[in-house]
Amino acid sequence: MNAWLRSTLPQALGVVLLGVAAGLAGNRLSPRGLPLMAPPKPVRPVELFISLEQAKQMWSGGAALFLDAREPADYAAGHIGNALNLPAQSFAQHFGAIAPLLTPETELVLYCDGVECELSHRLQASLREGGYTNTHLLLNGWTVWRQAGLPTTPGGKK
Amino acid sequence: MNAISARYPTLLPWVLRLIVGGAFVLAGGLKIANPAKFALDVSNYRLVPHELINLVAILIPWVEVTAGCFVLAGIWLRAAALVITGLTVMFLFVIGSALARGLNIECGCFGTIGGKHVGLVNLAIDLTLLSLAVLLTWRSADGSRKAVTPEAAEVCVREKAGERSGGLY
Repeated sequence: MNAWLRSTLPQALGVVLLGVAAGLAGNRLSPRGLPLMAPPKPVRPVELFISLEQAKQMWSGGAALFLDAREPADYAAGHIGNALNLPAQSFAQHFGAIAPLLTPETELVLYCDGVECELSHRLQASLREGGYTNTHLLLNGWTVWRQAGLPTTPGGKK
Repeated sequence: MNAISARYPTLLPWVLRLIVGGAFVLAGGLKIANPAKFALDVSNYRLVPHELINLVAILIPWVEVTAGCFVLAGIWLRAAALVITGLTVMFLFVIGSALARGLNIECGCFGTIGGKHVGLVNLAIDLTLLSLAVLLTWRSADGSRKAVTPEAAEVCVREKAGERSGGLY
Protein backbone atom coordinates (compact mmCIF):
# COMPACT_ATOMS: atom_id res chain seq x y z
CA MET A 1 0.00 0.00 0.00
CA ASN A 2 2.83 2.38 0.85
CA ALA A 3 4.55 1.70 -2.46
CA TRP A 4 1.23 2.15 -4.21
CA LEU A 5 0.72 5.52 -2.52
CA ARG A 6 4.30 6.61 -3.11
CA SER A 7 4.10 5.98 -6.84
CA THR A 8 0.50 6.96 -7.57
CA LEU A 9 -0.26 9.96 -5.37
CA PRO A 10 2.48 12.24 -6.73
CA GLN A 11 1.37 11.39 -10.26
CA ALA A 12 -2.28 12.03 -9.35
CA LEU A 13 -1.25 15.36 -7.86
CA GLY A 14 0.64 16.07 -11.08
CA VAL A 15 -2.49 15.38 -13.15
CA VAL A 16 -4.52 17.74 -10.94
CA LEU A 17 -1.88 20.49 -11.02
CA LEU A 18 -1.58 20.18 -14.79
CA GLY A 19 -5.36 20.54 -15.04
CA VAL A 20 -5.28 23.58 -12.76
CA ALA A 21 -2.49 25.19 -14.82
CA ALA A 22 -4.35 24.45 -18.07
CA GLY A 23 -7.52 25.87 -16.56
CA LEU A 24 -5.88 29.13 -15.50
CA ALA A 25 -4.12 29.49 -18.85
CA GLY A 26 -7.19 28.50 -20.86
CA ASN A 27 -9.39 30.90 -18.92
CA ARG A 28 -6.93 33.74 -19.48
CA LEU A 29 -6.72 33.11 -23.22
CA SER A 30 -10.40 32.39 -23.81
CA PRO A 31 -12.70 35.23 -24.92
CA ARG A 32 -15.30 33.61 -22.64
CA GLY A 33 -12.96 33.63 -19.66
CA LEU A 34 -14.35 34.51 -16.24
CA PRO A 35 -12.78 36.65 -13.50
CA LEU A 36 -11.10 34.24 -11.08
CA MET A 37 -13.00 35.63 -8.13
CA ALA A 38 -16.69 36.20 -8.66
CA PRO A 39 -17.56 39.88 -8.25
CA PRO A 40 -19.28 40.60 -4.94
CA LYS A 41 -23.02 40.36 -4.94
CA PRO A 42 -24.67 43.71 -5.59
CA VAL A 43 -25.93 45.35 -2.42
CA ARG A 44 -29.69 45.63 -2.69
CA PRO A 45 -31.10 49.01 -1.71
CA VAL A 46 -33.42 48.76 1.26
CA GLU A 47 -36.23 50.48 -0.66
CA LEU A 48 -36.49 47.45 -2.91
CA PHE A 49 -38.12 45.59 -0.07
CA ILE A 50 -41.38 46.06 1.75
CA SER A 51 -41.50 45.87 5.52
CA LEU A 52 -43.05 43.00 7.39
CA GLU A 53 -45.82 45.33 8.54
CA GLN A 54 -46.64 46.28 4.94
CA ALA A 55 -46.61 42.62 3.92
CA LYS A 56 -48.91 41.76 6.83
CA GLN A 57 -51.40 44.45 5.77
CA MET A 58 -51.34 43.24 2.16
CA TRP A 59 -51.90 39.67 3.31
CA SER A 60 -54.73 40.60 5.69
CA GLY A 61 -56.51 42.74 3.10
CA GLY A 62 -56.17 40.05 0.47
CA ALA A 63 -54.77 42.76 -1.78
CA ALA A 64 -51.75 40.80 -2.92
CA LEU A 65 -50.88 37.30 -3.98
CA PHE A 66 -47.92 35.86 -2.09
CA LEU A 67 -45.50 33.78 -4.15
CA ASP A 68 -42.90 31.52 -2.55
CA ALA A 69 -39.78 31.46 -4.74
CA ARG A 70 -38.17 28.52 -2.97
CA GLU A 71 -37.94 24.93 -4.13
CA PRO A 72 -41.05 22.74 -3.88
CA ALA A 73 -39.56 20.69 -1.04
CA ASP A 74 -38.93 23.84 1.03
CA TYR A 75 -42.42 25.11 0.24
CA ALA A 76 -43.94 21.79 1.22
CA ALA A 77 -42.08 21.90 4.52
CA GLY A 78 -43.93 25.10 5.44
CA HIS A 79 -44.86 28.43 3.89
CA ILE A 80 -46.72 31.69 4.43
CA GLY A 81 -50.44 31.02 4.61
CA ASN A 82 -52.19 31.12 1.21
CA ALA A 83 -48.89 31.61 -0.59
CA LEU A 84 -48.42 29.76 -3.86
CA ASN A 85 -45.19 28.14 -4.95
CA LEU A 86 -43.41 29.46 -8.04
CA PRO A 87 -39.81 28.19 -7.80
CA ALA A 88 -37.40 30.72 -9.29
CA GLN A 89 -35.02 27.98 -10.40
CA SER A 90 -37.64 26.21 -12.48
CA PHE A 91 -39.81 29.18 -13.37
CA ALA A 92 -40.75 28.04 -16.88
CA GLN A 93 -41.81 24.64 -15.61
CA HIS A 94 -44.18 25.98 -12.95
CA PHE A 95 -45.38 29.30 -14.33
CA GLY A 96 -48.16 27.69 -16.40
CA ALA A 97 -49.98 26.60 -13.25
CA ILE A 98 -49.87 30.11 -11.74
CA ALA A 99 -50.42 32.19 -14.89
CA PRO A 100 -54.24 31.86 -14.98
CA LEU A 101 -54.39 33.55 -11.57
CA LEU A 102 -52.38 36.58 -12.66
CA THR A 103 -52.95 39.75 -14.62
CA PRO A 104 -50.20 42.30 -15.25
CA GLU A 105 -51.82 44.44 -12.55
CA THR A 106 -51.91 41.76 -9.87
CA GLU A 107 -50.01 42.85 -6.80
CA LEU A 108 -47.46 40.20 -5.94
CA VAL A 109 -45.36 39.71 -2.82
CA LEU A 110 -42.35 37.50 -3.46
CA TYR A 111 -40.27 35.88 -0.79
CA CYS A 112 -37.73 33.17 -0.10
CA ASP A 113 -35.66 32.52 3.03
CA GLY A 114 -32.44 34.03 4.34
CA VAL A 115 -31.04 37.54 3.93
CA GLU A 116 -28.69 36.26 1.23
CA CYS A 117 -31.42 34.48 -0.70
CA GLU A 118 -31.44 35.36 -4.39
CA LEU A 119 -34.49 33.36 -5.39
CA SER A 120 -37.09 36.10 -4.92
CA HIS A 121 -34.91 38.49 -6.96
CA ARG A 122 -34.64 35.93 -9.73
CA LEU A 123 -38.38 35.33 -9.62
CA GLN A 124 -38.99 39.06 -9.80
CA ALA A 125 -36.77 39.30 -12.90
CA SER A 126 -38.57 36.40 -14.58
CA LEU A 127 -41.99 37.88 -13.81
CA ARG A 128 -40.94 41.31 -15.10
CA GLU A 129 -39.87 39.74 -18.38
CA GLY A 130 -43.42 38.41 -18.67
CA GLY A 131 -44.92 41.85 -17.98
CA TYR A 132 -45.82 41.28 -14.33
CA THR A 133 -44.22 44.36 -12.82
CA ASN A 134 -46.37 44.97 -9.75
CA THR A 135 -44.07 42.98 -7.51
CA HIS A 136 -42.79 43.53 -3.97
CA LEU A 137 -40.04 41.67 -2.17
CA LEU A 138 -40.15 40.61 1.45
CA LEU A 139 -36.54 40.16 2.61
CA ASN A 140 -35.86 36.92 4.47
CA GLY A 141 -39.60 36.43 4.09
CA TRP A 142 -40.24 32.96 5.45
CA THR A 143 -38.12 33.46 8.58
CA VAL A 144 -39.41 36.92 9.55
CA TRP A 145 -43.02 35.94 8.86
CA ARG A 146 -42.77 32.78 10.94
CA GLN A 147 -40.88 34.47 13.77
CA ALA A 148 -43.57 37.16 13.96
CA GLY A 149 -46.14 34.44 14.55
CA LEU A 150 -48.10 35.33 11.42
CA PRO A 151 -50.30 32.74 9.68
CA THR A 152 -48.43 29.91 8.03
CA THR A 153 -49.22 26.60 6.45
CA PRO A 154 -47.06 24.05 8.24
CA GLY A 155 -45.28 21.17 6.53
CA GLY A 156 -47.44 18.35 5.23
CA LYS A 157 -50.29 20.66 4.22
CA LYS A 158 -50.56 22.51 0.96
CA MET B 1 -15.85 -9.80 -15.49
CA ASN B 2 -12.99 -12.23 -14.92
CA ALA B 3 -14.24 -14.48 -17.73
CA ILE B 4 -14.41 -11.51 -20.10
CA SER B 5 -10.99 -10.23 -19.12
CA ALA B 6 -9.54 -13.71 -19.49
CA ARG B 7 -10.97 -14.00 -22.99
CA TYR B 8 -10.14 -10.46 -24.10
CA PRO B 9 -7.13 -9.54 -21.97
CA THR B 10 -6.17 -6.47 -23.96
CA LEU B 11 -9.60 -5.35 -25.09
CA LEU B 12 -11.19 -4.71 -21.70
CA PRO B 13 -8.70 -2.08 -20.48
CA TRP B 14 -9.03 -0.32 -23.81
CA VAL B 15 -12.81 -0.23 -23.60
CA LEU B 16 -12.66 0.94 -19.99
CA ARG B 17 -10.21 3.70 -20.89
CA LEU B 18 -12.34 4.78 -23.84
CA ILE B 19 -15.54 4.98 -21.80
CA VAL B 20 -14.10 6.62 -18.68
CA GLY B 21 -11.60 8.90 -20.41
CA GLY B 22 -14.03 9.78 -23.19
CA ALA B 23 -16.82 10.62 -20.75
CA PHE B 24 -14.59 12.99 -18.79
CA VAL B 25 -13.10 14.68 -21.85
CA LEU B 26 -16.64 15.20 -23.20
CA ALA B 27 -18.08 16.39 -19.87
CA GLY B 28 -15.19 18.78 -19.21
CA GLY B 29 -15.04 20.04 -22.79
CA LEU B 30 -18.72 20.97 -22.80
CA LYS B 31 -18.29 22.91 -19.56
CA ILE B 32 -15.19 24.69 -20.86
CA ALA B 33 -17.16 25.77 -23.94
CA ASN B 34 -19.57 27.73 -21.74
CA PRO B 35 -17.92 28.61 -18.41
CA ALA B 36 -20.52 31.22 -17.42
CA LYS B 37 -23.30 28.62 -17.73
CA PHE B 38 -21.32 26.14 -15.66
CA ALA B 39 -20.63 28.83 -13.04
CA LEU B 40 -24.39 29.36 -12.78
CA ASP B 41 -24.90 25.60 -12.42
CA VAL B 42 -22.28 25.50 -9.63
CA SER B 43 -23.97 28.45 -7.93
CA ASN B 44 -27.36 26.72 -8.06
CA TYR B 45 -26.06 23.88 -5.91
CA ARG B 46 -25.45 26.41 -3.12
CA LEU B 47 -22.43 24.51 -1.79
CA VAL B 48 -19.58 26.81 -2.80
CA PRO B 49 -19.01 30.30 -1.30
CA HIS B 50 -20.01 32.99 -3.78
CA GLU B 51 -16.46 34.31 -4.22
CA LEU B 52 -15.12 30.88 -5.21
CA ILE B 53 -17.79 29.91 -7.74
CA ASN B 54 -15.86 31.18 -10.77
CA LEU B 55 -12.63 29.51 -9.68
CA VAL B 56 -14.40 26.17 -9.25
CA ALA B 57 -16.18 26.58 -12.59
CA ILE B 58 -12.88 27.35 -14.31
CA LEU B 59 -10.73 24.62 -12.77
CA ILE B 60 -12.96 21.55 -12.41
CA PRO B 61 -13.63 21.09 -16.16
CA TRP B 62 -9.93 21.38 -17.01
CA VAL B 63 -8.97 18.82 -14.38
CA GLU B 64 -11.67 16.56 -15.86
CA VAL B 65 -10.30 16.98 -19.38
CA THR B 66 -6.67 16.54 -18.29
CA ALA B 67 -7.41 13.36 -16.35
CA GLY B 68 -9.58 12.09 -19.22
CA CYS B 69 -6.80 12.72 -21.75
CA PHE B 70 -4.26 10.92 -19.55
CA VAL B 71 -6.60 7.94 -19.30
CA LEU B 72 -7.24 7.91 -23.05
CA ALA B 73 -3.52 8.18 -23.78
CA GLY B 74 -2.64 5.56 -21.18
CA ILE B 75 -0.13 7.87 -19.46
CA TRP B 76 0.02 7.68 -15.65
CA LEU B 77 -3.08 5.59 -16.08
CA ARG B 78 -3.53 4.52 -12.49
CA ALA B 79 -3.03 8.05 -11.18
CA ALA B 80 -5.37 9.58 -13.74
CA ALA B 81 -8.01 6.94 -13.00
CA LEU B 82 -7.59 7.75 -9.31
CA VAL B 83 -8.19 11.45 -10.01
CA ILE B 84 -11.33 10.55 -11.97
CA THR B 85 -12.47 8.33 -9.10
CA GLY B 86 -12.05 11.27 -6.72
CA LEU B 87 -13.92 13.64 -9.02
CA THR B 88 -16.76 11.15 -9.43
CA VAL B 89 -17.07 10.69 -5.66
CA MET B 90 -17.26 14.48 -5.32
CA PHE B 91 -19.95 14.68 -8.04
CA LEU B 92 -21.93 11.92 -6.32
CA PHE B 93 -21.85 13.86 -3.06
CA VAL B 94 -22.89 17.10 -4.78
CA ILE B 95 -25.76 15.51 -6.70
CA GLY B 96 -26.84 13.49 -3.68
CA SER B 97 -26.94 16.59 -1.49
CA ALA B 98 -28.97 18.47 -4.12
CA LEU B 99 -31.47 15.61 -4.24
CA ALA B 100 -31.61 15.41 -0.45
CA ARG B 101 -32.36 19.14 -0.27
CA GLY B 102 -35.06 18.81 -2.95
CA LEU B 103 -33.28 21.25 -5.29
CA ASN B 104 -34.87 21.34 -8.71
CA ILE B 105 -31.86 22.56 -10.65
CA GLU B 106 -29.98 21.71 -13.81
CA CYS B 107 -27.32 19.09 -13.26
CA GLY B 108 -24.58 20.81 -15.27
CA CYS B 109 -23.00 17.37 -15.52
CA PHE B 110 -22.45 17.31 -19.27
CA GLY B 111 -22.69 21.02 -20.02
CA THR B 112 -25.69 21.94 -22.09
CA ILE B 113 -26.28 18.32 -23.16
CA GLY B 114 -27.02 17.54 -19.54
CA GLY B 115 -29.57 20.33 -19.40
CA LYS B 116 -31.86 17.94 -17.61
CA HIS B 117 -32.70 18.61 -14.03
CA VAL B 118 -30.65 16.79 -11.47
CA GLY B 119 -32.16 13.44 -10.55
CA LEU B 120 -31.62 9.77 -9.89
CA VAL B 121 -30.48 9.24 -13.49
CA ASN B 122 -27.46 11.45 -12.82
CA LEU B 123 -26.70 9.45 -9.67
CA ALA B 124 -26.93 6.22 -11.68
CA ILE B 125 -24.61 7.56 -14.39
CA ASP B 126 -22.10 8.73 -11.79
CA LEU B 127 -22.25 5.43 -9.92
CA THR B 128 -21.59 3.59 -13.18
CA LEU B 129 -18.67 5.88 -13.97
CA LEU B 130 -17.36 5.44 -10.44
CA SER B 131 -17.39 1.66 -10.66
CA LEU B 132 -15.66 1.80 -14.05
CA ALA B 133 -13.05 4.26 -12.72
CA VAL B 134 -12.37 2.07 -9.68
CA LEU B 135 -12.08 -0.95 -11.96
CA LEU B 136 -9.70 0.97 -14.19
CA THR B 137 -7.57 2.01 -11.21
CA TRP B 138 -7.40 -1.60 -10.08
CA ARG B 139 -6.88 -3.02 -13.59
CA SER B 140 -4.16 -0.56 -14.45
CA ALA B 141 -2.33 -1.47 -11.24
CA ASP B 142 -2.70 -5.11 -12.17
CA GLY B 143 -1.70 -4.38 -15.76
CA SER B 144 1.41 -2.47 -14.76
CA ARG B 145 2.64 -5.49 -12.84
CA LYS B 146 1.98 -7.75 -15.81
CA ALA B 147 3.54 -5.35 -18.25
CA VAL B 148 7.04 -5.47 -16.80
CA THR B 149 9.67 -7.13 -18.94
CA PRO B 150 11.23 -10.42 -17.84
CA GLU B 151 14.51 -8.60 -17.13
CA ALA B 152 12.80 -6.02 -14.99
CA ALA B 153 10.87 -8.75 -13.23
CA GLU B 154 14.12 -10.54 -12.44
CA VAL B 155 15.62 -7.35 -11.02
CA CYS B 156 12.49 -6.84 -8.99
CA VAL B 157 12.62 -10.38 -7.63
CA ARG B 158 16.30 -9.94 -6.72
CA GLU B 159 15.58 -6.66 -4.96
CA LYS B 160 12.75 -8.26 -3.04
CA ALA B 161 14.97 -11.14 -2.08
CA GLY B 162 17.63 -8.64 -0.95
CA GLU B 163 15.07 -6.80 1.13
CA ARG B 164 14.04 -10.02 2.76
CA SER B 165 17.60 -11.04 3.54
CA GLY B 166 18.31 -7.53 4.84
CA GLY B 167 15.32 -7.86 7.09
CA LEU B 168 16.42 -11.20 8.41
CA TYR B 169 20.02 -10.34 9.18
